[in-house]
Amino acid sequence: MTPAGAGPAGPAGRPVGSLASRQAELVAALVAGAPPPPGFAPGPLAAARAALLRKRAGEVARHWPLLAAGLGPTWPTVFVEWAADRPTGGGLRDGWDLARALHARTALPALGAEELAVREAQFRYDGQRAPRRRRSPALGRVGAVLALQVAGRVRLLRPARP
Amino acid sequence: MNTPHGVGIGWRPEIAGFVAELPGLRFVEVIAESVPTAGPPPDDLIELRDRGVTVVPHGVRLSLGGAEPVDPTRVAHLAAVAQQLAAPLVSEHIAFVRAGGLEAGHLLPLPRTHEAVDAICANITRAQADLPVPIALEPIAALFDWPDDELDEAAFLNEILDRTGALLLLDVANVYANARNRGTDPLALLDRLPLERVAYLHVAGGAEGGGFYHDTHTDPIGREVLELLAELCARHRPPAALLERDGHYPPAAELRTELDAVAAACGFPEVT
Repeated sequence: MTPAGAGPAGPAGRPVGSLASRQAELVAALVAGAPPPPGFAPGPLAAARAALLRKRAGEVARHWPLLAAGLGPTWPTVFVEWAADRPTGGGLRDGWDLARALHARTALPALGAEELAVREAQFRYDGQRAPRRRRSPALGRVGAVLALQVAGRVRLLRPARP
Repeated sequence: MNTPHGVGIGWRPEIAGFVAELPGLRFVEVIAESVPTAGPPPDDLIELRDRGVTVVPHGVRLSLGGAEPVDPTRVAHLAAVAQQLAAPLVSEHIAFVRAGGLEAGHLLPLPRTHEAVDAICANITRAQADLPVPIALEPIAALFDWPDDELDEAAFLNEILDRTGALLLLDVANVYANARNRGTDPLALLDRLPLERVAYLHVAGGAEGGGFYHDTHTDPIGREVLELLAELCARHRPPAALLERDGHYPPAAELRTELDAVAAACGFPEVT
């Protein structure tokens, strides 16, 4: 019993394929919304998927404490909804991408906007590769929030309105 | 270089102050990937090292169980951290954490097949060649199994340990979690593991949720895990046991109580 499109099955329904391809299929199912590989019990796999998202939420909250605090009790739900089918780029980038996405739909809380503005002033981040520290003075602007970085030190010029 | 002995605790920046003030502490572990090697390690770790506290770098991102060869730069980093901290050994997991260009974000179980044993043994051997000290391998807590397991857990672990000569880092909470989630007997597994090869033990808290036991490291140690720890130590006590806590840090008094409970279960002196 092999689901359609899941590749050939060996004798006695045993999945075949190299370890590399099977590991890749499994990770894609766990973090990128790909269909579960054949033969895995769905309940345990779903539990593992949820556990990975919880771990990831914790890691992002460590990198972006104000973003998480600003979202308060909705933080886990907001993060998990956003992250469910998105593979991780690491805690720093995940939080950055989420903060930008929330800002784009005007759902970024004030604390998160300040944290994002500070980061934008500190680092250059193109959304693709690891953020790189800015060498020259820079402004970070998130809506009305403004942060200024000079020689690595950052000051909020205009905080978020409460 | 002192090998781990007695009760230890996972050093984390959030509890560095608490750890520094434990009067009897002789052993900590640090997440290897969190230690920069471009500059000096964190001052707190240097102070512990200089006080004669054994610091063991614990890797979480090598992905030794990955089908592809282990990344030499990651092994080099682990080796550099070991050297900086004068570590007598390092530890990593019997797991993989990435595949097909995607990071899983945490430790995933291998299929218990001969193909997977070959792959992880090749990677362990590669790592051992570049590490200045022995490596201890930790079996993980898995929420799921692969559909095509050929070996049971004990046979799988023994094969890997025998072929690589690696030490065992046995996590009692993982043993409990796997037995609980698979409906097997944790003592039956302990009976078949080489307890004399355990470099040290891990102990951590977890929580029930959704019909599974989750090895969270953010909850207090449960009574069942402490009982299993005591049972293991009654059979063959390893030289050291380390408490892992990775968030929701409780007040200092509660952490001290947990450390004392670990000491009591093992029959080690209290470090608090």
